[in-house]
Parts: sequence; structure tokens; C-alpha cells
Amino acid sequence: MKQRLPLLVFLALLAIGPSVLPEFYITLLNYIGLYAIVAIGLVLLTGVGGLTSFGQAAFVGLGAYTTAYLTTAHAVSPWLTLLIGLTVTAAVALILGFLTLRLSGHYLPLGTIAWGLSLYFLFGNLEFLGGHTGLTGIPVLGLFGFELHTGREFYYLIWLVLLGAVLATQNLLDSREGRAIRALKGGGLMAESMGVNTARTKIVIFLIAALFACVSGWLYAHLQRFVNPTPFGLHIGIEYLFMAVVGGAAHVWGALVGAGVITILKQWLQDLLPKLLGQSGNFEAIFFGILLVLVLQRARDGIWPWVVRLIPIKAAQRVVAEAEPLPHREMPALGTVLLEVKDACKRFGGLVANNNMSLTVKAGEVMALIGPNGAGKSTMFNCISGVDPVTSGEVRFIGERIDHLESREIARRGMGRTFQHVRLLPTMSVLENVAIGAHLRGSKGVLSASLRLERAEEARLLAEAKRQLERVGLGEHLFDEAGSLPLGQQRVLEIARALCADPCLLLLDEPAAGLRYLEKQALAELLRKLRGEGMGILLVEHDMDFVMGLADRVVVMEFGEKISEGLPEEVQKDPVVLEAYLGGVE
Amino acid sequence: MKRKSLVVALLSAGAVTLAYADITVGVTVSATGPAASLGIPEKNTVALMPTNIGGQKVNYIVLDDGSDTTTGVKNVRKLTSEDKVDIILGSSTTPVSLAMIDPAAEAETPMISMAASAAIVEPVDAKKRWIFKTPQNDVQMATAITEHMSNNGIKTVAFIGFNDAYGEGWWQQFSKVAEARKIKVVANERYARTDTSVTGQVLKMMSANPDAVLVAGAGTPSALPQKALKEKGYKGKMYQTHGVANNDFLRVCGKDCEGTFLPAGPVLVASQLPDSNPVKKSALEYINKYEKAHGPGSVSTFGAHGWDSGLLLAHAAPIALKKAKPGTKEFRAALRDALEGLKDVYGAHGVFNMSPTDHLGLDQRARVMVKIEGGKWVLQK
Amino acid sequence: MDLQIALLLGQDGIVNGAIYALLALALVLVFAVTRVIYIPQGEFVAYGALTLAAFQAGKTPGTLWFLLGAGVLVAVIDTVIAVRAGALGRMKRIVLWNLAYPAVVAGLVLGLEPAKLPLVAQAALSLVIVVPLGPMIYRLAFQPLAEASVLVLLIVSVAVHTAMVGLGLLFFGAEGSRTTPFSEAQFTLGTLNVNGQTLWVIGSSIVLIIALYQFFGRTLYGKALRATAINRVGARLMGISTTMAGKLSFTLAAGIGAFSGILIAPITTVYYDTGFLVGLKGFVAAIIAGLVSYPLAAAGAILVGLLESFSSFWASAFKEVIVFTLIIPVLVWRSLTSHHVEEEE
Repeated sequence: MKQRLPLLVFLALLAIGPSVLPEFYITLLNYIGLYAIVAIGLVLLTGVGGLTSFGQAAFVGLGAYTTAYLTTAHAVSPWLTLLIGLTVTAAVALILGFLTLRLSGHYLPLGTIAWGLSLYFLFGNLEFLGGHTGLTGIPVLGLFGFELHTGREFYYLIWLVLLGAVLATQNLLDSREGRAIRALKGGGLMAESMGVNTARTKIVIFLIAALFACVSGWLYAHLQRFVNPTPFGLHIGIEYLFMAVVGGAAHVWGALVGAGVITILKQWLQDLLPKLLGQSGNFEAIFFGILLVLVLQRARDGIWPWVVRLIPIKAAQRVVAEAEPLPHREMPALGTVLLEVKDACKRFGGLVANNNMSLTVKAGEVMALIGPNGAGKSTMFNCISGVDPVTSGEVRFIGERIDHLESREIARRGMGRTFQHVRLLPTMSVLENVAIGAHLRGSKGVLSASLRLERAEEARLLAEAKRQLERVGLGEHLFDEAGSLPLGQQRVLEIARALCADPCLLLLDEPAAGLRYLEKQALAELLRKLRGEGMGILLVEHDMDFVMGLADRVVVMEFGEKISEGLPEEVQKDPVVLEAYLGGVE
Repeated sequence: MKRKSLVVALLSAGAVTLAYADITVGVTVSATGPAASLGIPEKNTVALMPTNIGGQKVNYIVLDDGSDTTTGVKNVRKLTSEDKVDIILGSSTTPVSLAMIDPAAEAETPMISMAASAAIVEPVDAKKRWIFKTPQNDVQMATAITEHMSNNGIKTVAFIGFNDAYGEGWWQQFSKVAEARKIKVVANERYARTDTSVTGQVLKMMSANPDAVLVAGAGTPSALPQKALKEKGYKGKMYQTHGVANNDFLRVCGKDCEGTFLPAGPVLVASQLPDSNPVKKSALEYINKYEKAHGPGSVSTFGAHGWDSGLLLAHAAPIALKKAKPGTKEFRAALRDALEGLKDVYGAHGVFNMSPTDHLGLDQRARVMVKIEGGKWVLQK
Repeated sequence: MDLQIALLLGQDGIVNGAIYALLALALVLVFAVTRVIYIPQGEFVAYGALTLAAFQAGKTPGTLWFLLGAGVLVAVIDTVIAVRAGALGRMKRIVLWNLAYPAVVAGLVLGLEPAKLPLVAQAALSLVIVVPLGPMIYRLAFQPLAEASVLVLLIVSVAVHTAMVGLGLLFFGAEGSRTTPFSEAQFTLGTLNVNGQTLWVIGSSIVLIIALYQFFGRTLYGKALRATAINRVGARLMGISTTMAGKLSFTLAAGIGAFSGILIAPITTVYYDTGFLVGLKGFVAAIIAGLVSYPLAAAGAILVGLLESFSSFWASAFKEVIVFTLIIPVLVWRSLTSHHVEEEE
């Protein structure tokens, strides 16, 4: 309850606002609300998802123009135009998304500029949309016979929509789909290996951001009762991004703070500067720019994190509720060949990283892949798990050819993996990081997440993540930030994440690196236990004691080729191996 | 009645209520953004407006809307609810003015726009009864141009205008009146204010081989197409709109603009008007005031639209003051009625005769044809 | 469209493309070294052109006061830092570059009557005023944020752009200006009329691009910048300071921007807000090059220039729509062919 206090105070203030505030403050609050709805979409898209968009204003325009045109030219009900607007926006966003979201890196922001500008000029040059001059006479919104004429009446509608958007977005981010979204920025490759369809996830957040913008535009049109292209141009698109970043792009409430600060700052400058400097020049833009630079220099993560620090309330101690365990995959019988690699080659340009590699892993055995640094072991892992497919050759998983499947499809078939360079989301909790591993074991989508209809499934996923964490010995760190763990434990976390997917084959890339002796013992114990349960394990490791004590069979690589294969004791005596290891080291 | 005036006298001893009785004028102009070249002289003009009308002190609150409709509406809301203004002057462009109609009418506050389009005041309905404007309608100016064209035997014209509301408004009006006069418009091109090159458009127009070219732009950016046409060897007649009528245009366009025709408000050539012209005195007064404050040659016709809005206010306010006190709803209504009833107000741009169906009130005396000769504006007979 | 028109459009596209190319190079340089997507690059074009125009009109350009003010601000901040760090040895440099230099420039401008000077001297004087603004802006706005994310740097860059456009309006007013051309000559190339100034633009662009190429390949500073661009941490370990590299890249960018402005001012009208759209086209070219490759940036710039010129012939109202729609397939193609490495930020 205590944690909710600031929120309740805020809501109470909002509710009584219109009855005490002067008219103009209501006007400002209305605009802040409209901007914040768009900015929330940007928080999701840019701050959380890492996709920078300059073009949101164009989607606001789609919402505004759809209703403006249909209500004035065809007298359609505004509530119907909202639905039509959302449909039109969704269609446009899907087309643009398919075209531009496949753009990588900096190509994407330019793509958004491109369609942002194009839609602006389309609005301005289509005669039926009133051209550059605009459309007048948009009707007022009516609700059950009650008409929203004044700003005061409109205020409640805007802020209800806004709070709904805040709530839905927060719910979404705290869910299975939400974790996938949060993994997009800096963890896309990992997420794919955990079964997340990142391309689809990108489209989803792009769509959500566009729909939020559309709703804001619809509200804008009926509040303003006039539309023309200027509020939907590139400059305004940039300003929305401004709001999100200044408020704190990674935080849903940051959108609100950003919209508020920017709007009020502009107003304040407009009032103050003429008094200080006289009417002769226009100093607003100058001071606005300078102040924003200063704000970002003081608080580069935005204002919201800074505000949160001022509110002296500790986060609630979270608990993971007990829940019915998730169903298990049927394990292949002991001794079944799980993985079969035949004559796999991998070339990067002229460089041959793997040449004619063959190996097998059976259910219930630990196969170790060893070799000097740069022998091509991790490349082999990436080939097997679909992260970077083979150039030629065959990879079969439980009899099925998988060498041209996407990594998420391979994950779905029961292959789990860890990475040589730890790939986790450092600011997310340990528990949530591990729960990403269970992505494929849930099925509830974005809508049910926003509406909290997936809590039963979510509880089961989190309980599974907790169980796996306890199993690998990280049960005490559930709610710590993953980035705060020592590197060795981060590797162990990755094992828990892989286990969370309920795999039948586990690919471990140097799991023991950075672990202390006792921790290594515990890890070996765990792997033995997994082997006992019928899991196949393919292991890359440099710690020879660890490998030789654990592995059932060993493959040795050098210069991308297999130089030896056999039981641990055989391999250890193989002169070729000795040459590779000892002869290589001068 | 007597007791009431006593109370007023007593109250006005206090400074707080003194401010209450002042006339408060809210101004919103586009002093930044794309329309800044219009908004800045308008803003400068506000400083020259009367500070005392009918014995009442007048306070001006000047806001910038950055040529943005949202900000324009926000400004109106601020002026009407926070500052309780009695009248709003502005804004500089058609879209912003159109957007301001609703909030101004809602607050029952009269508004005088400084933008061109007739749509701002026509038709006078429940909302637009609160709205007035001072600049000539585009169609008045377009008619003047087509008249001049047909008198000079021009059969075909190419049009190039700003890719914004200004160019669009002109295209709509001009294409209509040109058709009526059997002048064929052979090309319709657009360019952006900050474009660095219009070669494509110019070649397209020249390939249609028109007798004349009309450039519809405002301020110095209108020079670019004309200079490009000259450079590519175009020999036909050149027309500009009243949007170019400031001295910066002559400075930038230089000798390439010799012989160009344009319609303009009489203020542009005030000193060349015959003394019999009733507009001359008013226009010269404005020019003198403005140039005294901002240096010789600094005056523009845009500022004069602002000046005219001040003049309308100065004529209407004394009438309204007889009916109600500034700062009240009644005063605003009375001011509106007074504005609507104004007759024979001599502005810098023409003579205003308002009526319940005409909230502009300008006639043929509000436009003259001007030719650029020797780097000067020369009145055409 | 006949051949004659196509040739004229091509010529126009190449001239514009040459300017975009210069800006694109500056943007690539600044991004590679500092990770700043430098939106205010366009403002230097406007500042350069309008400062020169102010000289020719016999006025004192407002950029001079900007230089003096920014200099004092940098001096104060750096002095405080130097005093706190006890490094008073830095004072000489601080005073020299931020106080003495602007003062000398101001003395020259106010004492010389620039309107009567030859064009070359006026242009040089404009560069002398505008170029130092680059490193000063880096010092004031970006240096404290050197380690921030690309997104934050981008937003700061937009904020700086907003402030600089506001200052531009204050200094130069809303109306545009032109300057006298470097050359009034007219040449006939077959059926094509070419005027001297366009040759100046293309020629200077090529010379500048070659000069930059030599600078990066041959000089110590150029190599230091390249090293920083390739590996910031590594460069720092080798003793190349991020701050020095940042200031140097901003100086070069300001120089390129202001010079581009001086080049185009005689062939088009320049306004206080011209920079944004010109800079945006440069940005498009730079992005096509993935913000890393200089030759691709130049090629992209010419492509943008040509697209613009031909689309303004075909459907001028939809020029930007056409240009930017046609850019998208290029981006998709670049996206698919360039090796994708996941950014870890």
C-alpha cells in the first residue's frame, strides 16, 4: 500500500484538477496528456525496444486526418472513425514496419524520417484532405448524449486514455512478451536463441506505438476541431522523441514527465523571457535548446529516474508465488543420437573457420569439444544452434535436418545453449533473465499481457525460472540485477536460462570459466545429474580437469578441423593432440 | 448611475482594479518558424500601436506561435482564460488563423486575423461572427493580376508557388479567375521555402512555353524561381504576388526582378499615390512610424496588416467603451458589434467598410498594380 | 523530357549533390569519432553564408557576438576545472583560444570595414568567425556527455540545433540573403550553359574531398582521428585523447559546413533555417554510407542530388515524397548487404 501512495496522491490530484485549476492549466494538461500518449509509444519502441523513430507524428496525423475527413465529409460518427483510424494506422504501420524494420542500425531512423516526411507532404498535397490549409468544422465528441465541448470535459477523456496506456504498457513490459521486448535492445541474438521471434516482436511494438499515436491524433482532432499538416511534420516527430528522452526513455512514467516538462518549460519561457529581455527578439527557442542540453548533461537517463530517487520509498520485497509446474518435454530414450553433424563447413569470405567437422551427441552423454583458442569451437556452436548457419554440410537434430532453420526454430525443437561471451540483460533481474529461457513454454500474447489475463501462466513461468535458479545455486539472487553478479555466476545464470526452456540437448560454451573450485564441483555435479536424467550435453571448456572428469567422449579441434576423437583417456594420449596443445605453445 | 461611478472612482484608486479597467489586447503572430518574415514586422508593429484608446490604457500581450497551429490555439486559450483579453490580433498565416477560430468564438472574444485566405471570415456564421481580418483576399489580388494579364495580351501562364498554404491558396484562386478570363494555365509547380534549387520546376515551366510566369511566394524566397528563370533565359513577363512586398525582396532579387508586376496594398507605394487618395495619409503615417523605429527601408506590407488591425481596434473600442467596461463579456460583445459596424476607416491597405456579411470590408481601393523599375516599387496606372 | 533538359537536370543534381557530399563527409567524420549524429551541421552552412552576406551588406554579423560569448563561457568553465584540478599550466591555452583569439577577430572585423575588402578576404574572415564555434559547441554541449548513449547524444544534438536556429533568426532575421559570386563567367559545353560558380562548387568539393583524404592518410592528426573512429578505447590507451579528437572533428565539420555555405550563397538564397533541409540531405547520404564510408557518402550525396533534381521536374509538389520513398529501397539494400553486427550498448 505504502508503495502505491505517490501514485494514489497523483491520481487524486488529477481527479480534482479540473474543479480547482484555472482554464489555461487544463488546456496545458490536455496537451501534455496528448503528447504523453505518443511518448509512451516511443518509450516502448525507442527507450525499451531500441528502435529510434522520428516518424510518430505522422501516425498522429493518420488518426487525426481519418476522423477529420470522415466526420466532415461523410458525417461518420467519431467513435466509428476511431476504429477506422486504428485500422488504417495498423495497415500503414504494418506496411512501413515490414519495409523499414528490417533496416539495421542507423538505417532505421532514416527510414522513419523518410516516411515521416512523405506522409506530411501527402497530407499537404491531397486536396480532399484540405491541403496545406487544413480541414475545419470537425464535430465535438459526444458520449451518451453528453457533449465534450470544453477543455475541462475533454480533460477526463484524455487522461483516462493516457492512464490506460500507462497501465497497459506497464503490464505488457512485466510479462513474457515484455521480457522479449526488453531483450530487443542489446539482446536480440540471445532472444532468438531462446525462441523469441525478434522480427515479429519489433513489428508488435512498432504497431503499438503507432496505435497510441493514432489515438492521440484522434483526440487532438476533436479537441482542436481543426487539422492541417503542420502538427504532424518531422519537427514535431523529433519533439516527441525529445519528450521521451528527457523524461527518461526507458520508463513508462518518463513519457509523462517528459511531455509535462517540455510543455511547461516552453510555456514558462514564453511568459518569462519577454519580461526579462523585452519584446524585441525571439529568445524562446534559444533558451529552450540550451536548457535541454543542460538537463541532459545533469540527468542523461532522463528526469524520471532522478524523480524516483527523490521519493523515499523502497521497492516492495517481491516473492515468486508457488505455481503448478510447466509440462515437460518427452525426453528421447537414453542413447538416441540427438545431434549429428556431418562434414560441416563454415567460411567467412575466404577464411575457413570450420572444415569438414563431424560429431555426434547422444541422449545421456556429455560430449566435450576442446581445442586451442581460435580452433573454431564457438563457430561450431553457432553453426549447430542456427545463430550463424553452416556454409555446407549437414546438421541433424533428433533425426531432422536443422542446418537451415532459424535459431528460434532449433530452440523450439529442444536445443538449449549458453554463450562464450555472456549475453544477458544486465539491468533486468536475475529471475527475469532466466524466465526469457521459458519463452517458448508460454503462449499468451500482447493483448492478454496488457490486460493481465495471463497471470496464471506468468506465475508458472516465473516459478519455473525460480526452480532452475535454485537448482544452479543462484536462489538467493532472484531479484538482483543480473549485471551485478560476478562473471562466473553470470555464466551459471545462462545455464539456468537454458534449462528453463526444458531442452533435451544442452550446448555449454565454457561454463566453468571464472568459477571457483567449489563452484566448479557443484556445476559438475549438476551436469552429471542432468546427464542422468537423459539429457545430452555438448561442452566447450578449457579446464582440462573439469572436462576429463566429466566427459564421456571428447572431440579435439584445431584450425577448424577435427584432429582427434574418442574417450577422454584415449584423446589425452593422442600424439596429435599433444602436439596441438604443447607444440602450439612456445 | 452616479453611485456606480463613485464606486468605480473609489476602486480605481487601488492599483489592482486599475489594471482591470484597461483594455487588454492579446496578440499572437508567427515570429518564428516558416512564417517568421511575416510575423516579425507584425510583432514590431504592435509596439507602434496606440497605448491609449478613448481615455483607457491599452495593454498588449504579444505571443509567438512559431507558425504552428497547435501553439496558436494554445495561445488563444491562454489569452482568453489567463489574461482575459478583450480582443485577439493574429495570427500571420491562414492555417493558424483558421485553427484559432474555434477557441476564440468559444471564449466569445473578437479576433482580427492578419492572414490572407477568405475562408477565415467567410461565410459569417455563428463562429465566424467573432472573426475579422485585414489583409486583402487572395481572390482580389488574383483578379488584379489576371486583369493586367488580359490587358497585356497574355494567353498562357505558368504558375509556381510555395508548397504550403500560401501557394495553395493562390493556386486555387488564381486558377479559378484565370479560367474565367480565358487565360490558360500551362504549368502548376511547387517549391519549398528553403529549397536551394528550382531548376526542375523552371525547366518544366519553360518547356510549356508560357507568355508569363506567376510566382506565388512570400518574401525573399520568391526571388529564387525568378532568378532561375532569368538564368535559363526566360524572356516572358513575370508576375509576383503581394507576398513579396518588402525591400529585402528587392535586395535579394536585384536586377533579375526588373520589370516584374505585382498587385499590392497601396501602402507599398504610398508616397506615389495622388493626394486625393484617402489611404495615402494613413499609409504614410504608418511608414514614418515604423521606419523611425526600425530604420529607413525596413517597412513591409505585412506589418501594415497588423497596423490596420490596430486601427480597427482603435476605431471600434471607443464605441464599445460606451456600452461596457473592458474585461467583461459585455465589452467583448460590444467590441465585436462595433467592429462589424465600422465604416470608412482609412487603413494603410485600404478603406474598411464592415458589415454583418463582410468581415473584411476592403474594396478595389485596397489594391494597386506595381512594377519593379530601377530597384524600386513603381505604381502603375 | 529531351536530352537538353536531362543534361540541365543532371548538372543541377550534381551541383547540389556536391554540397550534400561535403556535409555528408562532415557528418560521417563527426559520427565516427564522437558517435554524435550532428544535426546542427546544417546551421554552419547558414552561419557561414549569412556571415559573409552580412559583411557584404556592411553589417557586423551576429555570429561575432556568438563567438565572443561562447569563448567567455568556455574560458570560465575550463578555468574553474583547471583551478580545481590545480592544473594552472592549462590557463595559457584557455585564454589564448577562448578570449584572445575572439578578441583579435572582433578587432579585425570592427576595424577593417569588411564591406570594402576583396571577396577572398571577406570569405576568410567569415570562416575565422564561424569555424571556432564548432569546437566551442563541442566543449559546451557534447564533451560532458562523451560517454552517453547515441540516442542521448542525438537528442542533445537536436537541442543544439534548436538553439542555433533561434540564434540564427536573432542574428540575421527571417529574410534570406545572397552573396556576390566568385566568378561571373559563363561557359558553353556543347549545348549546355555552365556558369562559373557551379564549377567553383564542384571543383572546391572535389579539392576538399581530396584534401580530407590526404589529411586522414598522411598527417598525424588525421591518423589520430581515424584511430579514434575505429576504436575509441584503444586510441585512448595509445594516448589520443577523446576530447582532442572530438574538438578536432567538430572543427573540421564546422569548417566544411561554413565553407559549403560560402560556396552556395551566390547561387541560391540562404535563410537562417536553410541548414536543416540541406543538412538532412547530407544526413541521408551519410546514412546510405552507413556513417562509416567516405566514398559511399559522396556517391550517396550525388544520388540524392540527382533524385531531387529529377523529381522536382516530374512532380514538384511531391518532390520530398519521391526522394524519400526512393531512398527506402536503397536503405533496405544497404541493410541486407552490409555485415550485420549486433550493437551492444
